[in-house]
Amino acid sequence: MSKNTLKSFMSDRTVLDWTAEPDSPVPPPTWGRRAPEAQVLPWVFAALVGFLLLGNLLLSPHLTAPALRMWSTIFVAICVQAIPFLVFGVALSAAITVFVPPSLWTRVLPRRPYAAVPVAGVAGLVLPGCECASVPVASGLMSRGVTPAAALAFLLASPAINPVVLVSTAVAFPGQPLMVVARFAASLAVAVLAGWVWQLLGRPGWLRVPPRTARDGESRWASFLSAMRHDFLHAGGFLVVGGLTAATLNVVVPRSWLSSVGGVPWLSVLVLAVLAVILSICSEADAFVAASLTAFSPTAKLAFLVVGPMVDLKLIALQAGTFGRAFAARFVPLTFTLAILVSVLVGWMIF
Amino acid sequence: MDDLLNRMAQSLVMTLVGGAILRVSALSAIYLNYVKPGFRPLLVAAGLVVFALGVLGLIQEWRKPYVSPSETGPAAKPKHDHGPRVAWLLCLPVIAIFLIAPPALGSFAAERDEAPQPRPTALDAYGALAPDKPTVMPLGEFIGRAWGDANRSLTGRPVTLTGFAVHSKKKGQWYLTRMQLRCCAADAFPLKVTVLGVPAPRDDTWVEVTGAWVPTPYDELPKGTVAPEMKATALTKVDQPAEPYE
Repeated sequence: MSKNTLKSFMSDRTVLDWTAEPDSPVPPPTWGRRAPEAQVLPWVFAALVGFLLLGNLLLSPHLTAPALRMWSTIFVAICVQAIPFLVFGVALSAAITVFVPPSLWTRVLPRRPYAAVPVAGVAGLVLPGCECASVPVASGLMSRGVTPAAALAFLLASPAINPVVLVSTAVAFPGQPLMVVARFAASLAVAVLAGWVWQLLGRPGWLRVPPRTARDGESRWASFLSAMRHDFLHAGGFLVVGGLTAATLNVVVPRSWLSSVGGVPWLSVLVLAVLAVILSICSEADAFVAASLTAFSPTAKLAFLVVGPMVDLKLIALQAGTFGRAFAARFVPLTFTLAILVSVLVGWMIF
Repeated sequence: MDDLLNRMAQSLVMTLVGGAILRVSALSAIYLNYVKPGFRPLLVAAGLVVFALGVLGLIQEWRKPYVSPSETGPAAKPKHDHGPRVAWLLCLPVIAIFLIAPPALGSFAAERDEAPQPRPTALDAYGALAPDKPTVMPLGEFIGRAWGDANRSLTGRPVTLTGFAVHSKKKGQWYLTRMQLRCCAADAFPLKVTVLGVPAPRDDTWVEVTGAWVPTPYDELPKGTVAPEMKATALTKVDQPAEPYE
C-alpha cells in the first residue's frame, strides 16, 4: 500500500467518523475531534485510579497513628453506612418529582395546611429508612407543591416512627413496650408541632425550595437520572461534612465524660440530647445505643431517641445544604427545643 | 475550570465513590471493619447504582461532539448540568479508604471508651456447658453469663474466647477485648474480660484464651464498669478474624 492510498484511506475514515455524528456543526471546524474535556478524560481517570492504588500500596502502611486510624475508621463507617440509605432516598425523591403527577399530592393531602401537617406526619410510618433518606424525599415533595410545613412534618416523623425503627426499639428494650409507645408518641408530637409552628411563624424567604423542572425534550428517564445524580452529589457532599464533624467529636470527646453526669435528672436529659446530636447514629440503630446507656433515666433515653432522628450533625449539614442556611439556623433549634420538651413531658406521663 | 463541577467532574466523583464502595463490599470483606455483615447486599446495590451513574456520565461525556468555544454562550450550557461544589467532599471518604485503609477499631478505641453495663438478658436463656472440654463462645455471651445468669452456668467450666489484647493499669492482668457494633463503627463499644494468669501479649494482638471464670462474690451488678475475670490456662496467637466485631 503506497503512502498516498493510506492517506486517502485514513481521511475517508475521518469523514466516516464525522458523518456518523449527524448533530455535529456543519461544516465542522475540527473534524473528528471530541469535546475538549473528553480528550483529557481517560488520562485524568487513569491518573486518579493510579494515585489511589499506588497510595494504597505505598502510603497506607505508614499512616498508622492510632488516633488517625480511629478517626478515619469512624468517618468511613459513617459514610459507608449512610450511602445505601442516601441512594435509596435520592432515587425515591427523583421518582417522586419525575414519575408521580403533582395532582396526586393535592388529592391525598388535605388542602388546609394545618390539617395537612398531621396527615403528612402519620405518613412517615410508611417510609422505611433513616434520616439520610428523608431529607431528599422531603425536598422532592416540596418541589412538587406539597406545603413546606407538611413536608417538614414528614421529614421529622419518617425516620423516627417507621416500622423498622419501632421494631428495633422493641428489640433493644426487651420487656419495656412502653419505650416504643413513648418514642412513637413523642416523635410524632414533635413532628406535628414543629410543622404547625413553621406554618404559623415561618416566612417563605427562609426556606429555599429546590426547583425541579424537567428540561424540554428530555425523556423522563434522562431527567430521573440527572435528578438522581444531582441530589446524590449534593446530599452526599453534606453527608461527608456531617461525617467529618461526628468522627472528630467522637475521637475528641470520650463518652465516659458524659456518663459521669447520669445522676442529675435535668442535666442527664440535656446531656443525652446533646450526645444524640454529636453521635449522629442512624435512627435504625440508635435504640441499641440508648439501651446501653444504663446509667441514665428512661426519660433521658427517650430524649436521646426522639432527638437523634430529628437533629444530628449529619442531618444539620444535609438540611443546611438542601434548604439553605437561613432555614437550618431556625429549624434546628426549634426542633431541638421541642424534642426535649416533649420528651420530658411524655417521659413524665408514661414512666 | 469554573467553581462548579462540570459533567465530567461529577461523573468522575460518582465513579470513584461507587468504585470505592464496590471495592470494600463486593470485591473484599473490608466493609466488615465499618459495618455489620448484614449490610453487604445494601452496599453492593448502592455501589452498583452510583458506579453505573458515574460510568454512564463518563461515556456520555467522552462521546460528546466537539463544540467550539464561540458557540457556547451562557445559554448553550443548561444550568443543571453543573453540580454543587460541595460534591468534591465525596472524594474524602474515597481517599481515606485507599490511602489510610482504616482498619477495624482496636485497643486505642477500646481504651478510650468504658464499656457500658451489659444489658440484663432474659434469665435462664443460657444452656448448660460441657464440663470437660472447653466451650468456644463470644465475649458477649461470657459477660452475659458472668453477670446475668441466675444458674451461674460458667462456674468451673472451661471456655475459649477470642479477642485482641488491651493492657490494664493493674499489674498481672490484661483485658481480652472485642468491639461490639450495633450498626456501624461509630457506635462501637468494647466488651472486656480481665485475664489473669498468663503474661500480657502486646496491645492489638489477636489471641485465643482458654480458661475458667473467676466467680464473683456478689450476685447483683456492681456499680460502675467491671469486667468479669478469667483465670487463663492457655493462650494462642491467632489471625484477626474476618469479622472483627461482635
